[in-house]
Amino acid sequence: MSEFKLTTVEEMEAATNRLLETGAKVGADSWQMRVKNQTPHCKFGEEGMCCRICTMGPCRITKKAPRGICGCDVHGIVGRNFLRFTAGGSATHSDHGREICHTLHEASADGNYKVKDEAKLMKLAAEFGVETEGRDIYDVAHEVAEVGLLEYGKPFGTQVFLKRAPEHTQEIWKREEIEPRAIDREVSCSLHMTHMGCSSKPEALIRQALRSGLSDGWGGSMMGTEFSDVLFGTPHEIETEANLGVMVAENVNIVVHGHDPSLSEMICEYADSPEMIAYAKEMGAKGITVSGVCCTSNEVAMRRGIPMAGNFLQQENVVLTGACEAIVVDVQCIFPALGPLSKCFHTKFVTTSPIAQMPDSDFIRFNAHTAGENAKAIVKMAIENFKNRDPELVHIPDMKQKAYVGFSVEEIERKLDGVTNSQVDETGTMMPLVDCVKSGVLRGAVAMVGCNNPKVRPDAAHISLMKKLIANDIILVVSGCSAQAAAKAGLMDKRAKDLCGAGLKRVCELADIPPVLHMGSCVDISRMMVLAARIAKDSGWNISQIPLVGCAPEWMSEKAVSIGNYVVATGIDTYLGVEPYATGSSEVDGLLKGGLKDWVEACYTVEHDIEKLGDLMIEKIEEKREALGI
Amino acid sequence: MLLFDIVFNGNDTMYAEACEAVDAAIAKYGEEKAIGFPDTAYTLAAYYAETGDKITNLKEAKAGLEHIKTMMTRERRLDSGFKSGVATALSAEILEATKYIEGDPYEGYSEGAMTDAQIRELGVPLVTGDIPGIAVIIHAAPTVQEAVDLVKSYQSQGNFVCLVGDIIDQLKEANYKMGFNVRVYPIGKDIACAAHAVSVAARTAMIFGNITPGDKKSLQEYTFNRFRAFVNAFGPLDEKTVACGAGAIYYGFPVITNDMEYTPSVPKSLIKLADVSKWNTASLEARDIKIKITNIDIPVSFATAFEGEIIRRGDMQVEFDGSRIDSVELVQTKEPSEIEDHKIEVIGPELDEFEVGSKNGIAYVVEVAGKKMQSDFESVFERKFHSWLNCIEGVMHTGQRDMIRIRVSKEAFEAGFRAKHFGEVLYAKIKNEFDAVVDKCQVKVYTDQAMASKIRHEIAVPTFDKRDERLGSLTDESVDVYYTCILCQAFSPSHVCVVTPERLGLCGAVSWLDAKATNELEPAGACQIITKEGVIDERLGAYESVNEAVRKYSQGALERVTLYSIMEDPMTSCGCFECICGIEPFSNGVCIANREYAGMTPLGMTFPELASMTGGGVQTPGFMGHGKHFIASKKFMAAEGGIERIVWMPKELKETVAERLNATAKELYGIDNFTDMIGDETIAEDPETLFAFLSEKGHPALGLDPMM
Repeated sequence: MSEFKLTTVEEMEAATNRLLETGAKVGADSWQMRVKNQTPHCKFGEEGMCCRICTMGPCRITKKAPRGICGCDVHGIVGRNFLRFTAGGSATHSDHGREICHTLHEASADGNYKVKDEAKLMKLAAEFGVETEGRDIYDVAHEVAEVGLLEYGKPFGTQVFLKRAPEHTQEIWKREEIEPRAIDREVSCSLHMTHMGCSSKPEALIRQALRSGLSDGWGGSMMGTEFSDVLFGTPHEIETEANLGVMVAENVNIVVHGHDPSLSEMICEYADSPEMIAYAKEMGAKGITVSGVCCTSNEVAMRRGIPMAGNFLQQENVVLTGACEAIVVDVQCIFPALGPLSKCFHTKFVTTSPIAQMPDSDFIRFNAHTAGENAKAIVKMAIENFKNRDPELVHIPDMKQKAYVGFSVEEIERKLDGVTNSQVDETGTMMPLVDCVKSGVLRGAVAMVGCNNPKVRPDAAHISLMKKLIANDIILVVSGCSAQAAAKAGLMDKRAKDLCGAGLKRVCELADIPPVLHMGSCVDISRMMVLAARIAKDSGWNISQIPLVGCAPEWMSEKAVSIGNYVVATGIDTYLGVEPYATGSSEVDGLLKGGLKDWVEACYTVEHDIEKLGDLMIEKIEEKREALGI
Repeated sequence: MLLFDIVFNGNDTMYAEACEAVDAAIAKYGEEKAIGFPDTAYTLAAYYAETGDKITNLKEAKAGLEHIKTMMTRERRLDSGFKSGVATALSAEILEATKYIEGDPYEGYSEGAMTDAQIRELGVPLVTGDIPGIAVIIHAAPTVQEAVDLVKSYQSQGNFVCLVGDIIDQLKEANYKMGFNVRVYPIGKDIACAAHAVSVAARTAMIFGNITPGDKKSLQEYTFNRFRAFVNAFGPLDEKTVACGAGAIYYGFPVITNDMEYTPSVPKSLIKLADVSKWNTASLEARDIKIKITNIDIPVSFATAFEGEIIRRGDMQVEFDGSRIDSVELVQTKEPSEIEDHKIEVIGPELDEFEVGSKNGIAYVVEVAGKKMQSDFESVFERKFHSWLNCIEGVMHTGQRDMIRIRVSKEAFEAGFRAKHFGEVLYAKIKNEFDAVVDKCQVKVYTDQAMASKIRHEIAVPTFDKRDERLGSLTDESVDVYYTCILCQAFSPSHVCVVTPERLGLCGAVSWLDAKATNELEPAGACQIITKEGVIDERLGAYESVNEAVRKYSQGALERVTLYSIMEDPMTSCGCFECICGIEPFSNGVCIANREYAGMTPLGMTFPELASMTGGGVQTPGFMGHGKHFIASKKFMAAEGGIERIVWMPKELKETVAERLNATAKELYGIDNFTDMIGDETIAEDPETLFAFLSEKGHPALGLDPMM
């Protein structure tokens, strides 16, 4: 085995620069160039104090003009913008969850989609109060899906999954009146509250932002995760590889990108069929390689070991390799830039969802009934496109790392069971983890999530923070593009244990895990909520007492704010490397960075100095330990 | 108190005690006073392995303590906890060394430090899994009975048990048999004695694992991955014990305790369990030790731990003595139709009918059949009888073929042990270990004297003669294949033995026939075929195919070995060799020392010191580990002239090999009674006296070319 060494950000950047040379040759645009054109950014926008909610404006707040035309002050404007931002994220995640509910509703024994994890379906049925005794599993699946769909619009009551939280957390939500009702209602309510002439009181707006976030994390996202597991299998540890080097020059390369696994699962299925492989050979390729970008990549990596070509800011790079026959996308985080970029190469840019339609793409409308045919057509299209490659332009950076992924809560539980002693311990608990934390072997945990953002040197914050934390015996659970940054660097290789402090290293050895655990895509942050709840229940601590913090050092999307809100509202202090558009209001900013503590026992910290951000998290973890007397 | 603080405090206390002891010793004896432990080439082995520095006197001990101080970091991180744990063990080792200044401080009470020879003796059983694990039990059990039960539970599984603290008194109170030979090893009373257990782990890593002293990381990886030790610490715990525990956990040895309050739990590392009766299972599980279960239906225990048990005349119910009365043990291949599987027959009286303390004859014949059975395997099975029968608690077996002696203790007899149980044991072990070639097996135990005589003379002796004829014809030249043996690689990752008909494995346990059988039994196992091809130099015994095999199975660590030279690319050793030979430049010869020999050799080194020159898969020209049996081989350092180079060996070894060695000398050089020309410790322990002796005897080595 070759010696293990992390891939550095410098090496990744050098690889990107080499690809950008190809781009320059073919006259391609790039995000790096567009960032230059867009900076400096509008200060009013950045601080959240530009209001475009009615056509009397737009109004922007200055010293001279402290109120908008309607009289709303800066706190109202910033608060409303913040809530709308959250609602956008919550709607997006939850709509993804809803799509999966629909797919489950379409599942059948002989259809495109089947129930893969029956045990999980049964568990959900029990939670949702669906009768299972003596019923066909597909009947059960359809009814569970229906009940799930009702969570989006039910007229009364709150989200079913809230019961998964510890009593204490549920009490807080009740007390603070932030228990999420129907998911769609929270989004609608947010838009309603922020309409011209409704709420302008920061407390009310932020409270609703938490509630709308919670409807995502403990509602839509959680259903997205759970129903995906039912359909495609609950992830378990699996070996894969990450970074552009996973693309294979001799093969037809299909890259899946987006978030919804329904499409990518089908593509993987067909790309792996003997028929398609034979066809690829007929067309002059050696085989077919499917790789992924963004969270779709996380979904198929976790369940099938499909390699990860890269994360958010690497999406253009896959096309720039000149070896991408098709980049097939579903929803969210897809650069419209891929359209024009693909035209500079032979690459087919295939959009598939009515939700994400873009110019310069081949649109193949994908739905559950025709999923098989659609996927087959896309794979075929890619194969037939192989011959159109310009060999002159082909350059795949020889850069990849081994990664172990698939650490669902169930898998983490299995790993923890592996270190129990049958004479002493119960299995099926989080106690081994709690014991490691109590004894000080592990200092705590950080849930690191989120995107890339050109405002932060891409991947550098994720990777440097992770390295710092694991060296301090702090274990990481990660998802989304943060997870891919870790995988690309090599931090999901089990040999990365040697970069850890003695405590985490020993835990990695005994539990046979890498120090950074891949928990999935961005909807899978719901898994982290379940994990925190389980730890709280087993330890007897409140979630806010656990030496655990959240972190999104390079976040950029509306979804990220929705996530941040539900993570904080669940009691987990959250550390950001990029400011939300809220600094314009001392009241809103003050609430987010401090006031929330009185409501939900946690709040945000924002720090641009990444080194310092790491120190602050370690300090917080140690502070929580001290408070617990451990 | 937080766990790390307990460790830090315990470390501070142990360190202070060590400093005080060293200062007091310096005040009394002066800085230059030598310190160390008996019969080891590794000085203070734990310290040496960790730092690469040898502590040989009080001045160095003082400097060592300065170094230890730098390890005692105090951050709230496990790294500090581990370092402080190791610092505690090293401090304890120095403290212990000061106790040895005026001789063995444990004399008459317990065993104290283990010798290198003992560690090398543990090598083979540790490698083969005959010793599945090493239990270190600390402090007193809640009751004497619990102490006995726990120790017995480990011992009966073949584990090696080390004892520290008051549990030793508890076992003494219960009259429990202790000692290295029964694998219950009382170290000493003070918790600092735990350092001797750490020393065993450290020396194992250096001897078998070729770990370079001072290479901390490799040392830790070796102990963590390969040294299957664990700790059982009875409460109430205290800071010093927990600090030692941190060191143990660092090296990979989990700690199980019944003190439910003092510390938090750490999964798979620090396990709290009040019910001591569950400790055995919990400990083995925590260290991932799997016990090979041989369920043998006999009324006494069966475990490798009893292999070294000695039964004295007074404790003996009955004896079978082949030197006085016809006795024999034999394996015979039969047709499947002739055998009823698991039929055990006793032909003659049962043990009840023998007079207590009487001497008798016995014959037991194990009849086997199987599609893949070969008559060459008969002797392979037979050679195992010695070890199998010895594993029976209360039975002692020595010798082989028709020169066997067996004693059954009164205790075993009272527990219900009878002659038929010999059959049960032999049947079970044959079926367990050789199931790949034995389909059916039955055993006949003849206690009828006339029948035993008949079996000996009419069946066994002709069989042995035929076998000897076959064995005599088995030479390195007469066969087409040799075998690798990498049985040791679990322990000695870069060592490979090449086994030929005339050169058995250096541990003495694997002959060419054994290797052949092992290969048949487990085609992907430790013994792989080397087809004799690509002669490079016949004199040296250098072959391309041998080199290729050695390269492959040492994972590239070794490039070349020769079969017959100790100077040019000599074969490596794992560390568990029976003997070591080294060149003696004055006489152009070699001296051989065996593991059991504790005295000095004319090379100016004891066996442990000689042994530390090689092992761990390292080639050291001029030094070579080998089996006893190899000494009489025509191939013994044939490239340098052969056995006529042998100028010295311990008397006892000389006597053991005399008959065969003299025969070989006669055949090769026409020398009569060659062993009379070879020196031993009664003749010389220094090169000058030896040279004078050799000159007087006209030893042929003196006339040979110098070896270097």
